[in-house]
Amino acid sequence: MPERRSLRSNSNSNKDKPAPARSTANKSKSAAPSKKAGSTNSSADSNMGKGDQRQANGSDPTKDGAKGSEDVEMGEDTAGGPTSSINTRKEREGDEMTVVVPPTKGSRLSGGQGPDKEGDVAMDEGDESKSEPKIDPKVKAIQDIKTNFTLLERAVTQFDPRFTLRVLRSISSMRKHITADVLSEVIVETYPPSSLTASFLLDAIDRSGAIESAVASSEMEVDSEKNKSSPKEILPEVDTYLSILAQIYLYDKKDIQKGAKFSTELIERLRTLNRRTLDSLAARVYFYYSLFFEQIAPLPPSPAATVTSIRQPLLAALRTAVLRKDADTQATVMTLLLRNYLSTSHISQADLLISHNQFPVSASNNQIARYLYYLGRIRAIQLQYTDAHDNLIGATRKSPTSNIARGFYQASHKLLVVVELLMGDIPDRAIFRQPALERSMHPYFLLSQSVSVGDLDGFLNIVTTHTATFRKDGTYTLILRLRQNVIKTGIRMISLSYSRISLRDICLRLGLDSEESAEYIVAKAIRDGVIEASLDHESGYMKSKEVGDIYATREPGEVFDERIRACLALHDESVKAMRFPMNQHRLELKSAQEARERERELAKEIQEGDMDDEDAGGDFDAI
Amino acid sequence: MSDLRSIVPELRNALDRNQLDAANNLLSRAKRSLLLENALIPTPSTPPQLISLAREVLEFGAIASIRQTDADTFTRYYQQLQPFYDLERHASTPGESAGNVDFSTSQRSKITGLYLLLLLSTGNSTNFHTVLEGLVEEASLNGKSVEDDPYIKYPVELERNLMEGSYDKVWRETKSERVPSEDFGLFSNVLVGTIRSEIADCFEKAYPSLPIFNAKNLLFLESEGAVIEFAQQRGWILRDGRIHFPVEPEQAARSEKDILVASSTVIENTIGYARELETIV
Repeated sequence: MPERRSLRSNSNSNKDKPAPARSTANKSKSAAPSKKAGSTNSSADSNMGKGDQRQANGSDPTKDGAKGSEDVEMGEDTAGGPTSSINTRKEREGDEMTVVVPPTKGSRLSGGQGPDKEGDVAMDEGDESKSEPKIDPKVKAIQDIKTNFTLLERAVTQFDPRFTLRVLRSISSMRKHITADVLSEVIVETYPPSSLTASFLLDAIDRSGAIESAVASSEMEVDSEKNKSSPKEILPEVDTYLSILAQIYLYDKKDIQKGAKFSTELIERLRTLNRRTLDSLAARVYFYYSLFFEQIAPLPPSPAATVTSIRQPLLAALRTAVLRKDADTQATVMTLLLRNYLSTSHISQADLLISHNQFPVSASNNQIARYLYYLGRIRAIQLQYTDAHDNLIGATRKSPTSNIARGFYQASHKLLVVVELLMGDIPDRAIFRQPALERSMHPYFLLSQSVSVGDLDGFLNIVTTHTATFRKDGTYTLILRLRQNVIKTGIRMISLSYSRISLRDICLRLGLDSEESAEYIVAKAIRDGVIEASLDHESGYMKSKEVGDIYATREPGEVFDERIRACLALHDESVKAMRFPMNQHRLELKSAQEARERERELAKEIQEGDMDDEDAGGDFDAI
Repeated sequence: MSDLRSIVPELRNALDRNQLDAANNLLSRAKRSLLLENALIPTPSTPPQLISLAREVLEFGAIASIRQTDADTFTRYYQQLQPFYDLERHASTPGESAGNVDFSTSQRSKITGLYLLLLLSTGNSTNFHTVLEGLVEEASLNGKSVEDDPYIKYPVELERNLMEGSYDKVWRETKSERVPSEDFGLFSNVLVGTIRSEIADCFEKAYPSLPIFNAKNLLFLESEGAVIEFAQQRGWILRDGRIHFPVEPEQAARSEKDILVASSTVIENTIGYARELETIV
C-alpha cells in the first residue's frame, strides 16, 4: 500500500518538522543573550525598544488586522495588500531581529564605533516616543520621516542596507498618518525651492503651490534654519523614499490613475540612477507601480487587461537588475511578472520566464515565499504535483502565520490542500483547524473529506455548490481533475473492506455509468498500484490479495532514514543561517595565543626548574 | 491582396474536395503573398480584411497539415495563429471594439480542439492542461464553460475518461458519429492504439488469465484472430482458448536478496548518523 504509507509519512512529517525548527530557534535565542552580555546596556535597551515597537504595530488596528478570520482574497493580499506585504516584511524582520541580529549589534558596539552607538540609541528613543500618546500625529509623522532621512544617509555612507530596510519597515506604522499636508511640509522643508524633484513630488500629491507659499512665509521668518539645510546635497535615496510615501498616499486615496502616471514617471527617473544603496527602495517602487496598474480597468482576467502593458517595462527592469546584480529589484520584479502572467493565465510565458531566469537566493523571505507560491501554481497546472507540492510547502512555511499576511497564508494553503489531494494524499486535519484558516478553508475541508471516503456523488455536489469559491481561488480546474482520485480512493476503500466484491456492486457504490467502465477502472487501479487485487472476468468480481505486513519490508527503515536526513539537513541549514559577530574570532584567537604563551612559559619554567620532580610538582600546585 | 482574395476560395475548394497536393501548392503561394504584404503577424497597422484573410490561410494550412498527419507543421500553424486568436479574444471581451476585423469565419475553437487532441494523443499532458487552463479562464470570464463548445468539449472529455480509466467511453467517443468533425476522426486510430496498449498493460497486472473471446471485446478488436496476433506481439501465452498472462517469477526469490541489500544499507545509514552526530556534538 504505497499510497497509504506516503500518506502517513506526510502527515507525520508535517507534525515533526516544526519541532526541531522551534528548538533551534530557541537555541539561538538563548544563545543571543550570552553574546550580548558583553555589550553595553544600550544594545539591550535598543532591543527592548524594538520589541515594543513590534508589539505596538502588531496590535495596531490596521485594516488587515480587522479582517479577522474572514476569507481574505488572495488578489487583495499580495497586491491588495501593500499593507500586508509591508507588514509581512516588517514582521519577518522583527522575528529575525530577536533571533539573529543582537550578536551583530553587539559586535558592532564592541567593535568600538562610538558615533554609531549613539545614533542607535537616539533612533530608538525616537521610536519609543512613538508609543507615547498625546503628540500631534502630524508633527510626529514629520519627525519620523525626517529621522528616517538620517538613517538613509547613514545607509549610504556606511553602505549598509539594513538601515534602508529599517526605513522601509517603518512605513507601515506611519502609513495611517501620511497626508498631503505632512508630505508637502516635509518636501518643502527638505528641498531648496528651485528643486525639480520637489515640484515633481508636489505635483503628484496636488500641492504644487506649496513651495511658493512656503517661500513667502519663510521670508518673514529668520532664515537661519533654511541656510543650514539648503546647501546640503539631497540624496537620491531620500527622493525615492519620499516618492514611495507619495505612492502609498495616492494608493490609499485610491487615486489609481494618478498613481499609475506618477509611478511611470518615477520609474523613468529611477532607471537613470545606478546606486546599490537604492536597490531595496527601487524594488518597493516597482511593487507599487505594478499595483497601480493592476487596478486600472480592464481588470486582469481579461486578456486585454492593463497589466499587460507594464510587462515591457518590468522585463526591462529585470534585465537591468540582473546586470547590476540587484537582488532586491530582481526578486520583486520577477514575482511581479509571474503574478502578471498568471493573472491573465499566460502560463507558458510564466513558465518560460522561470526557466530562463534564476531567482536570487539572497532575496527577502517574502519574495521567496511569493515566488514559491507562483512556482507551485504553475507546476500544479502542468501536472507536476511533486514539484508543486515542494514549492507550496516552502511557501506556506515561509509565509507569516499572523494576521498580517493572512490572505497569502490562506491562498497558499488552499492550493497546497488541492495539490496534496491530487497526489493522492489526504491533508492533515490540523491544517483546517487553524483559526486563521478555519472558515476560508471550509469548502476545501469538505472536499478532502469526500475525497478521503471516496464518495463520488458527495464530491460532485461539493464542487457544484462551491464552484464560485473555487473559481475565485483559481483552483477550479485543479479540483475538476480530482474526480479520478475520488474514484481511486473509493476503489481502495472497497478493496480494503471486501475480500471479494462483484463489479456490479463496485459500479453501484462508486456511482459509475456501467459495469464495463468499472472493470476498466479497477484494472487501471491495479496497474497503478492503488490496490492489490485481481479480476475475474467470467464471474465478474474483484478479489483482493492478502496485504502483507508492512513492517516486514524495508519501508519503515526508508522512512526513518528520510526523516533523520531531514533533521540533519535542518541542523546544517540552521548552522549556516546563523550570523556571528564580525571580529569575535580574533578575540578568541588572542586569548588562545595568550594561553599558549602561558603554557610555553610554564614549560620553560619546568625546564628551568630542572629535573627536580618535587619542584615541578610544587610549581603546578602553585598554579 | 487581390491574389490572396482569389487564392482563399480556391484553397477552400481544394480542401473540401480533399485535394491536398493542390492545397499545398496554393498554401505556399498564399503564404508568400502574405509575407510580401507583411501580414503573417497582425500589427495595429494591418488592414482588417487582410487580418482575416491571413487567418483563414493559416487555418486552412493547419487543417491541411492535420489531414496529411503532419503534426509538426500543424503545431507551427497553431503557433502562428495565436496572435490572430489573441486579437479575437480581445474583441470578444465586452467594451473592446473589434476593429472591423471579421471573426465570423474564424475556426478558432476547431483548431484549438484539434491541437488539444494532438497533445492528448502524443501524451503531452503538461501542455494540454496549460492550454486548457487558459481556455477555462476565458470561458468563465464570458460566463460560459469550456464544455459549451463541442470542439473543445471532445478532447476535454476524452482526457477525463482516459485519466479515469473508462476506456470503453473513450472507445465509444472515437466512433465516427460521436466525433464533432471529420478532422477529429483522424486522431481516432492513434487514440484507439493508445488505449489498447493501456488496457493490455492493465490486463497483465489485473487478470491471471482471460478467455480469448472476452479479450476480443475488452480490447475492442474485430476478430479472435486479431486477438491472437495482438497477444503474440505482447508475448502472452495462449492455452485452451484462454490468454495466460506472464507472472513475474522473481517474487519469491527477491526477498532473500532483499535482506542482504537491506542490511548493508542499514549499516551504512547508521554509520552515517553516527558520523553526523559526532560533528554536531
